[in-house]
Amino acid sequence: MKVSKILFVSEFEELWLDALQSLMALRKAGMNNVVFLHVISRDKVAMRRGAGYLKQEERKLKEIADIRFIDWAETLFEEGMEVVAHIAIGNIVPKILSVAEIEGVDLIITARRKRAKLEELYAGSETSDLLRRTVKPVLIYNYLSQSGKVGENPFERLLLGLDWSVSSEKILDYVLALKGAVKRVDIVHVVGEKDVAKISRMEVHKLERSNKKRLDEVCDILVNERFDARPHLYIGKVEEQIQKAASEHRTTMLVLGAKRRSIWKEKWSGSAAHSLADKSDLPVLIVPAEVK
Amino acid sequence: MAKKVLNVEDDADIRTFVTTVLEENGYTPIMAIDGAEGMEKVKKERPDLIILDILMPRESGIKMYHELKLDPSFKDIPIVMLSGVSKRTFLRSQAALTEFGDETVPEPQAYLEKPVEPEDLAETLKKILG
Repeated sequence: MKVSKILFVSEFEELWLDALQSLMALRKAGMNNVVFLHVISRDKVAMRRGAGYLKQEERKLKEIADIRFIDWAETLFEEGMEVVAHIAIGNIVPKILSVAEIEGVDLIITARRKRAKLEELYAGSETSDLLRRTVKPVLIYNYLSQSGKVGENPFERLLLGLDWSVSSEKILDYVLALKGAVKRVDIVHVVGEKDVAKISRMEVHKLERSNKKRLDEVCDILVNERFDARPHLYIGKVEEQIQKAASEHRTTMLVLGAKRRSIWKEKWSGSAAHSLADKSDLPVLIVPAEVK
Repeated sequence: MAKKVLNVEDDADIRTFVTTVLEENGYTPIMAIDGAEGMEKVKKERPDLIILDILMPRESGIKMYHELKLDPSFKDIPIVMLSGVSKRTFLRSQAALTEFGDETVPEPQAYLEKPVEPEDLAETLKKILG
């Protein structure tokens, strides 16, 4: 795996230059190519009675996006990076998917996206929609909720949430590709409350030992690659424990795996990764099990 | 025979504007919507001059310019940059690319910042192509 080309999706209202600058840490991991995408919602230029299609409005919005992107791109060009831009009209999730495919990006960066309450009830957030449909890793920023600022290097202290599924292997491969950008990795596995509720103390200890052994194995792989890595085992509700671990280890980014699920499966059995992507104040990197 | 001018530009309005200027001044316009398509058109059409934007999908004008100037078959095709990106940034970017191991590339024949007046574009083309 490699991270040389990133797709930076911005509506200018929630993902700004500071987020882009914070990603420059990825240059140490070989990132040299940035694709900008701005999607103008159809609602903003759609047909109006008496006015027709708002062509002038479309031109104005495209011009504004172009000026913003040129300003951002100039700094990157001067550092010898390749920068391309797409300004499109339509629905955001399909546009992200198509541009990610056309450009062959290794990572999608986007802000958390909500929908109107009623629409969200039936269709989930746009973030979950994107996560359900993509096979590319997605980094979700939510920096407007708390301090309103992005840390200088969100890749500095990663928390890897591993559940020993196929996606856990993918997470590990992806983190290895981030070498150079990452300073510290805390590897966390959460044993669910239900898994220990009905077993004896002896069995709980066995479960603890086997999980610690697996955590140590992952840790050794990272340490051999010269990462500063530590294993941690937690027991409880996955989402709560991941958040707790992040706070204890001063995490700057959560890295989680996810499987593609249908909207209904997601709704009823829900994944901790999607839920944290929607709720966490930290940037969340989701690595799909299907990533190549 | 009319000289062929390739315009590499992703904005449809600007493509229309440049096409009009080219046709009114007796040139044959060829269009490409990004740097990747631009390179294909250069190989296929061998234009007499290229008008090149910078920030586009798939491949930027900065990369395309660098590739053309390092290719012995195309390095002599005159290039007019037409972009919202400043000339200073363009020159610094070419210098930065050179730092990564390539040869130094020459400056473009002309650098026009958007928006450009039709007379200025026509005048620039006339100076270069005669």
